[in-house]
Amino acid sequence: MPLPRLPNMPGMPYWLTLPNFPNFPSPRTLLLDCCTILDHQVGGGVCGCCGALRPRYKRLVDNIFPEDPEDGLVKANMEKLTFYALSAPEKLDRIGAYLSERLSRDVTRHRYGYVCIAMEALDQLLMACHCQSINLFVESFLGMVRKLLEADKPNLQILGTNSFIKFANIEEDTASYHRSYDFFVSRFSEMCHSSYEDPDIRTKIRMAGIRGLQGVVRKTVNDELQANIWDPQHMDKIVPSLLFNLQDETVESQSPSPEAEKDKESPVELTERCFRELLGRAAYGNIKNAVKPVLMHLDNHSLWETKTFAVRCFKIIMYSIQSQHSHLVIQQLLGHLDANSKSSAKVRAGIVQVLSEAAVIEASGSVGPTVLEVFNTLLKQLRISVDYELTGAYDYGNIGTKIIKEHEERQLQESVIKTIGSFASTLPTYQRSEVMLFIMGKIPVPGIYPALGSANTGFEGSRMIQVMLLKSLLQVTVGFQTTNMLTALPSSFLDPLLSFTLMEDAEVRLLVLDILISLIDRHDNVLMFSSISIITDISVLKLKVDKCSRQDNLFMKKNAQRLFRHIYLVCNEENSTQRHFESLFSLLALLSIELATEEVVVDLIRLALALQDLAGEEALPVYNRCAIHALSAAYLNLICQLTTVPTFCQHVHEVIEARQKEIPYLLPEDVFVEKPRLPESLPKPEGDIVFLQSKIAETLGGSGYNTERLATPYIPQITDEDRLSKRKSIGDTISLQLEMDSRHSPEREQKTPTEQITFETLKQAIVDSVTMEEQERERRRLVVERFQTAPFEEIAAHCGARASLLQSKLNQIFEITIRPPPSPSGTLTAHGQSRSIPVYEMIFPDLCVY
Amino acid sequence: MSTEDYDYLFKIVLIGNAGVGKTCLVRRFTQGLFPPGQGATIGVDFMIKTVEIKGEKVKLQIWDTAGQERFRSITQSYYRSANALILTYDITCEDSFCCLPEWLREIEQYANNQVVTILVGNKIDLADKREVVRQRAEEFADTQSMLYLETSAKESDNVEKLFLDLACELIREAKQNTLDNSENSPMPGEGKSISYLSCCSLN
Ligand SMILES: Nc1nc2c(ncn2[C@@H]2O[C@H](COP(=O)(O)OP(=O)(O)OP(=O)(O)O)[C@@H](O)[C@H]2O)c(=O)[nH]1
Ligand SMILES: [Mg+2]
Repeated sequence: MPLPRLPNMPGMPYWLTLPNFPNFPSPRTLLLDCCTILDHQVGGGVCGCCGALRPRYKRLVDNIFPEDPEDGLVKANMEKLTFYALSAPEKLDRIGAYLSERLSRDVTRHRYGYVCIAMEALDQLLMACHCQSINLFVESFLGMVRKLLEADKPNLQILGTNSFIKFANIEEDTASYHRSYDFFVSRFSEMCHSSYEDPDIRTKIRMAGIRGLQGVVRKTVNDELQANIWDPQHMDKIVPSLLFNLQDETVESQSPSPEAEKDKESPVELTERCFRELLGRAAYGNIKNAVKPVLMHLDNHSLWETKTFAVRCFKIIMYSIQSQHSHLVIQQLLGHLDANSKSSAKVRAGIVQVLSEAAVIEASGSVGPTVLEVFNTLLKQLRISVDYELTGAYDYGNIGTKIIKEHEERQLQESVIKTIGSFASTLPTYQRSEVMLFIMGKIPVPGIYPALGSANTGFEGSRMIQVMLLKSLLQVTVGFQTTNMLTALPSSFLDPLLSFTLMEDAEVRLLVLDILISLIDRHDNVLMFSSISIITDISVLKLKVDKCSRQDNLFMKKNAQRLFRHIYLVCNEENSTQRHFESLFSLLALLSIELATEEVVVDLIRLALALQDLAGEEALPVYNRCAIHALSAAYLNLICQLTTVPTFCQHVHEVIEARQKEIPYLLPEDVFVEKPRLPESLPKPEGDIVFLQSKIAETLGGSGYNTERLATPYIPQITDEDRLSKRKSIGDTISLQLEMDSRHSPEREQKTPTEQITFETLKQAIVDSVTMEEQERERRRLVVERFQTAPFEEIAAHCGARASLLQSKLNQIFEITIRPPPSPSGTLTAHGQSRSIPVYEMIFPDLCVY
Repeated sequence: MSTEDYDYLFKIVLIGNAGVGKTCLVRRFTQGLFPPGQGATIGVDFMIKTVEIKGEKVKLQIWDTAGQERFRSITQSYYRSANALILTYDITCEDSFCCLPEWLREIEQYANNQVVTILVGNKIDLADKREVVRQRAEEFADTQSMLYLETSAKESDNVEKLFLDLACELIREAKQNTLDNSENSPMPGEGKSISYLSCCSLN
């Protein structure tokens, strides 16, 4: 019998292009009704039938099964069945049900050959049938797949899975009711964990499970009527199952058969592909449910500690999800970090590491509205870690206290700081300076900002927090290049950074210097000055220099004096090391390269000469004095070459030569070595080994520099304007002296070393003790503590009381003014008496009490 | 005609500490053997067995979970759809008994609140190593209103009974349920919606 053919019946390969079929307009319900009516019409006569009267569809189905299952599907009859199904789509559900019935029977009777044939037939029908009619058929199809998946024979499970995958790839364009994929998700997830003894079969089962899950996701992800695959009940199975296989190295380490290797995907590769696909499909609202199980999995399997897998997972996540959602992942990680505040340092470090790597992947700026939140959380973690480190243990709920491993906390802190840097590096300039301000605002600067350290860690806590936050700040400044320094570094940033409080501690002081360097160096010149030396010819450095812009100019107008003052005061600190002087040299050099106008150059030279004077005094230890001399010499050697004024250069050169002959320990090459050979004592140097202010003024005068200013010794001050107007910053001791200073006429300025009364003196006078470091620290600690814990009113009241006490004490002190301590400016004068008078009239701001 | 060959389908999930014998119980029941050297379960295991109770075919979908801590999140996700939970401990291991409250909390948190829970003390063949006396366990089960049964997967004591009792209980509840709200409940099992059932019943 010739096979009747529908004129438009597509050949097998085209069946895959199902969506292109013309659509029947009739809705499903109508179809169902038709089908029901037909059933009744036909069914009436067939009921309770013997073989010959079997319905046509049953006969057609029966005929596709060969006598011997080895022969496989009877192709010709399969075509007939397909044709029948296409021409009478309303019969599809009957065909499906009957096939399914046969399959069930065959499974129970272990006639696996027939099972395979039935599945093949189903697959073909599925592919051939119109997408709308599929719906009628799917129930029995899924029932059959389920049947196979329930079997404990791996081959049947895999057969079922393969059919399911084919089905999953069919795009249906009608909504499908009454389908539940619960079982499939559960079973495929279970298969992903197969522990079948034979490793090859185990791998096959696991891979089938992975593909099956992929199929479920594909099938359901776009179908709103389906159980939401993104619900935790599904995600909590799917994601861990994928991760389990992603992480499974045992499969990888199997000796791969070389020829199969090329075209065959490994389970790990397959898993990664599926995981990526899943993530790529996640909409905004689903990200959370997809990422949460990842976090849980990493928790449960203790995978944060080792980091590599956790990092790998999140790299996959960050690269796979739609980029506009990436900040959600960051947020989730941050939340997880918070939730793990009481976990071991290793766990926290792992999460931080992941954050750090994820941050770099996240497209710049897409941290979005959560920028400060990100940094806030990280800073909080820093603080928590410092607390743990200092207290040595922490309360661990009802389980008791947990002992802290100090070195692990340290590592964590470094990791957090690095992560802060990673995040910052993704930010545009304006956001970066926002973050810098934010971090600055968290640094405990007594008098300006409240301390951040918790009450029970006290002074050391505050100091450690300062160090941590400054390190973080340093990270944020790495690569920071702004064309507008003025807006990027407002005084709310510079004031606390340059404050006296951050100068005392050697480590803190160094960090501040490094931050300044990093901010000022916008052309990566800093490397040229990383060591301090007399550079004979600076042209070999190949410095990158831009002309000083208008904004830079304004910035220096506003801030030059406070920067110079900072440098000067830092030099005056005793506990400095080579690193400090190297940083000072870098800072001076970079200021000269990045921000120098003619006026700035003049002031820098004055500063260098003032440093030479400072080193001449005997107040500082010999090492410091030699180092400052060396710094001054190295810097003058640099700046003279930058001015390119030959006579200036010559003078500097002569002095250096003289030093080389007579006193090499005043040059960097001799001071900044591992074991410098320094003299026991160092009398104030004189003669041709000192740089002469008058001489330099003279040499530069010829080139149009301001000779008058050049000849005036430098005195530390904040800004030119500040000397005329009211001082703004309170709690800053040096500024206090300047106010006193400003009451003098400018001409007398140099002769009036108001600076000789330092805050130290006042403090010492108050506590009636000469130098009690310990006491001072303790007091500071108490103050910090009080500020942390006391209500504002109490502090205010207390300050009032202290202020009046101070005022009366001061009056006493100044009446019996004793010999003042050495001045930080180093200017000497005989007019000691005259300058103390205005102090009587001064009303000290409340906060100066501290 | 139905594509399914059962009257009831129930999902049973086994939980409890690692090594208490969950997998052995399941294999004893489904395969009739006591596996020598049974390894720890990875993630979840799946078995199916159809039994006949009073002429009705009951299909039991059995999900055997890993007791190991590291699989906790995946195993928890299986609690939700369970019709019954078999909470197992090892009578020769005090620890596994002490963990029961913790397991109950997990059940509270993740399982459906209509779930039937049965407490099982396994390994009674090791009577001389018993650490948890029967009465103590019974009292505990009582306070939590759970059924209690002691088994030996090795000697096949009470294993059949465990699953069959559970099936009976589930049938009873299912019938109760269909009476209670007769119009909308394909209660146990999945996806067998009324419309589908009625569609089939036209045959
Ligand atoms: N004597 C005795 N030993 C048993 C019995 N049941 C299990 N065991 C033994 O207990 C050990 C653990 O059994 P499993 O069934 O693997 O335990 P499990 O609860 O599935 O453990 P996980 O899969 O890790 O959660 C095996 O060595 C079994 O041989 C029992 O009834 N009697
Ligand atoms: Mg087990």
